[in-house]
Amino acid sequence: MKLKSYLKLFQISNINFSKEIGISSVSLSRYISGERLPEKRILNKIFKLTDGLVDANDFFLSSSPSQDLSEIDKEEIKKMVLNIREGKLKDLAKAITLVESSLKLHNAQADFLLSKLKQNKNSLRVGITGVPGVGKSTFIETFGMSLIDLGFKVAVLAIDPSSKRTGGSILGDKTRMMKLSVNKNAFIRPSPSQGNLGGVAKKTSESIRCLEEAGFNIIFIETMGVGQAETTVYDMVDIFLVLLLPSGGDELQGIKKGIIEMADVIIINKADGNLKNTAEITMLEYKNAQNMISNIREDISPEVFLCSSTESIGITKIWNFIKKFEKIRRDSGSFYKTRIQQQTKAIWRNIFLQSQDYIENNLKYKDSVKKIIKDVEKNNFDVNNASKIIFDSILKRNT
Amino acid sequence: MDRKKLYKGWEEQASRELRDKNLEDHFWETPEGIKVKPLYTEDDLQKISHEIGVPGLPPYTRGPRATMYTNRPWTIRQYAGFSTAEESNKFYKEGLKNGVMGLSVAFDLATHRGYDSDHPRVVADVGNAGVAIDSIEDMNLLFDGIPLDQMSVSMTMNGAVIPVLASFIASGEEQGCPREKLTGTIQNDILKEFMVRNTFIFPPKPSMRIVADIIEYTSKKMPKFNSISISGYHMQEAGANQVQELAYTLADGKEYIKSALERGLNIDEFAPRLSFFWSIGMNFFMEIAKMRAARYMWSKIVKEFKPKNDRSLALRTHCQTSGVSLMEQDAYNNIVRTTIEAMAAVMGGTQSLHTNSFDEALALPTKFSARIARNTQLIISEETGICNVIDPMAGSFYVESLTSSIVEESQKLINEIDEVGGMVKAIEMGIPKMRIEESSAKRQARVDSNEETIVGVNKYKPTEKQEINILSIDNEEVRKRQVSRLQKLKNSRDKKNVESFLEKIKNAASSDGNLLEICIEASKNRCTVGEMTSAMESVFGRHNLSTKTISGVYKNTVKNDGKIDIIDNELSKFVNKKGRRPRMLVVKMGQDGHDRGAKLIATAFSDLGFDVDIGPLFQTPEEAAKQAIENDAHVIGVSTLAAGHKTLVPLLMESLKNNEASYIKVICGGVIPPDDYPFLYDLGVSKVFGPGTNIQEAAIEIINLL
Repeated sequence: MKLKSYLKLFQISNINFSKEIGISSVSLSRYISGERLPEKRILNKIFKLTDGLVDANDFFLSSSPSQDLSEIDKEEIKKMVLNIREGKLKDLAKAITLVESSLKLHNAQADFLLSKLKQNKNSLRVGITGVPGVGKSTFIETFGMSLIDLGFKVAVLAIDPSSKRTGGSILGDKTRMMKLSVNKNAFIRPSPSQGNLGGVAKKTSESIRCLEEAGFNIIFIETMGVGQAETTVYDMVDIFLVLLLPSGGDELQGIKKGIIEMADVIIINKADGNLKNTAEITMLEYKNAQNMISNIREDISPEVFLCSSTESIGITKIWNFIKKFEKIRRDSGSFYKTRIQQQTKAIWRNIFLQSQDYIENNLKYKDSVKKIIKDVEKNNFDVNNASKIIFDSILKRNT
Repeated sequence: MDRKKLYKGWEEQASRELRDKNLEDHFWETPEGIKVKPLYTEDDLQKISHEIGVPGLPPYTRGPRATMYTNRPWTIRQYAGFSTAEESNKFYKEGLKNGVMGLSVAFDLATHRGYDSDHPRVVADVGNAGVAIDSIEDMNLLFDGIPLDQMSVSMTMNGAVIPVLASFIASGEEQGCPREKLTGTIQNDILKEFMVRNTFIFPPKPSMRIVADIIEYTSKKMPKFNSISISGYHMQEAGANQVQELAYTLADGKEYIKSALERGLNIDEFAPRLSFFWSIGMNFFMEIAKMRAARYMWSKIVKEFKPKNDRSLALRTHCQTSGVSLMEQDAYNNIVRTTIEAMAAVMGGTQSLHTNSFDEALALPTKFSARIARNTQLIISEETGICNVIDPMAGSFYVESLTSSIVEESQKLINEIDEVGGMVKAIEMGIPKMRIEESSAKRQARVDSNEETIVGVNKYKPTEKQEINILSIDNEEVRKRQVSRLQKLKNSRDKKNVESFLEKIKNAASSDGNLLEICIEASKNRCTVGEMTSAMESVFGRHNLSTKTISGVYKNTVKNDGKIDIIDNELSKFVNKKGRRPRMLVVKMGQDGHDRGAKLIATAFSDLGFDVDIGPLFQTPEEAAKQAIENDAHVIGVSTLAAGHKTLVPLLMESLKNNEASYIKVICGGVIPPDDYPFLYDLGVSKVFGPGTNIQEAAIEIINLL
């Protein structure tokens, strides 16, 4: 990064910095303005002092065209934020579109928008997963309506799988949330996953922040429950619900053990009609097998409930448990602590994503890289050396 | 000459004619998966698995009556969907003068769903697709001057079946016709509603109880009335192939028998009054074979319940020519299509027939088109001599062999239903709906890639546009009239009395009283259709459908003739520009439950690479706008089949505007009279697509639009 930005970020005055390097502050100003280039010895000092954040390239190469937003854009987005706070659904929806977009410009706009949002500590983020057909949407419909009756504003982010082959998707959740979808205190947004889980994770957690800004205080994140999406969702919610069908072990239901182990609440859904008895047996099985449910939360153990979304059985009990869960964890401080840890994880996740993105979209297309790989194919070069050289080029990337 | 040698000779001769091509290449695999050979012979007749028999005797393969048309031709029964009781009454009287022998009542969507005309959810539905009936007063107008003891009346009613049938019976008695003299049919087939047509009100269980109430009551009190018309029609309309239509309809019938038996009825008390209803499409021989196979299979199915009366085994049916085979493009071709389909229905031995008017792909029939439709039947009946011989196709090597194949294929599907525990279970699991939607998507893909020819649509397209006069309905006018009549009724009746009857209906609903019986009295006392429905709803609840969709079928069936590549290319340009795929919300607004078109569009567009949101059935325009805004759709696709667009689309546009969301584009598709196009474009609709639109071409147009 440019030296100027570095000093600003770490709040170091020019005078102090110039003293540490052992030059005059006038010289420093000239280096910063680009009027003069620092010599090798000075460069090395700056490199060491800034932990590598500022290197020779930052002085010798002119900066890349700025990704900065125009003032008009900024004004627009500030207005958008105000509208979101006022509860305008249109602006909220547009904000989520910016967050989800694959365009660099939209992402820059989204980043600016996110920087204007407040921290919301009062919301509850609820993850919900289960295999297709387990009744997730119907559960959210019944549960969500009962929460609205209690005075909450409820939002649902549903992550739908996109077809790998065509990239298209069908998003039909609202047909199963008929009452919730038309309620003015509810907001439902199904999103196509585009086959990119890491991307979904980033977008979803940013969408959550937009929803919180609009005053939604209970936010459901619904995923399919068959793959890795759950682990990522787990890292952005306060409480994690797993829905199961009566009968059958989790292998039978096609749900991974790892997912059950993450559950704070296990819900045996569709416990109505002929399935009532089977559901009770299933519940007992899971209750007795508490040892297979590892206690990931230090202050409260997971619980198992029977539920029938169509007959509204179990909804109150589940809500009472969630309230208890939230209270205990808020009182002990672990609730917020978990959110902080999640943020840290998000930083690393974003770094991985960006590196991956850079590798996929830039690095692989560089002529030098292509040549090195060709050489390896022809046995002129060995794998380790090749990867080392290519990796070095990532470190030297200066854009 | 010995037969083997003879056929060998044919094979050699045929191979010579084909030169380097293979005889095997000339086998045709039907959409049902049946392999049809180019030639059938005596040998195939030896291999058939069904019994042919004689007409009028079990297993009735050749017809339910011994004399069939030689004694009396089928009943010409034209379904009419005029919006008010007065207009329908006029249409009936006109028809009766001109050779129509039975009446058929189409109700408007509000009535189907059990709403009175003054209900806020049905603003756009009153008078659409049929007549609005709010109370016995409307029934009295509908049958004014039509002696119900002489005229058989068929009513297409499933959802609000109890209050409507009750009002009909009550109206008959006020006219002086005792209930035991009423003849006709009530559709009363709720299972297929859950499967394809979606005009249900209550959940499956109480709905089945209502069916049983009606079977029980009519079998005891109305001996000449058909208590149910088990319908495959709407399945084929929704895209089912003939085997699916047959199998699922028979499986429905089996379920109705079971529930009537559970009620304590004797099989012979009601089975002779069960009737069927088929759709007859363009696959001529397949349709004939289907009707024959149906009679054979039904007799076997009923036999398992051990009836003593042979009449219980006989399948009687009504037929209607296929509505989906009608095309908007080159619409006069529809007259020819309908003629061919009508011929198939007659060759298949139907008991009554409705022939569609050629303009029904565009709007409701006019006087002119209705007359041609009627005459189509009269010409077949009186000019051709077809009626002089019973079951003329019997013994045909091909038709008998096809009949057997259909029996076998359908049996497989029926077995699948039996294995999961019957039709109610299967419907809950969504099995038949899924299979039908799969067939529908495949068919569309075949048509889109010109594998199936539709003259004037995907081949031999007309170069000039034809003007066709069509009938347009002012729905708002009809609604006002209904509402004021309703108000008059409500002011003039004894309020306390009404309350007490509604209370009785609730009691009957929560116990085991017969709902039809109590509702007949209630309608005589001027309870409305909506009030009676609400009374039952307070006990049963209203059913919500969870929509399931399929994916991949369209893409796997369609042949890439370059258009797919164009779409892929346009899509990636779009994504590079907009940062996401085009997102389309497909909505069905109003009370029209026909969701075949909407589902098809959803699955095909997502297969082509769009992100598609689906709205719940029966949405209001405000609800649709909210969903489009929340999901930030680029475009709303309005699917409309029931003339509601003239009220609903303006409301949708207004709702978008009120929410500062006019940036969302709106397109319309379905049965929309060309005369309405300018009206829609003036409102700001970006594009209107008629029936027979090639989906891939539409996709390209839509991408360019955004």
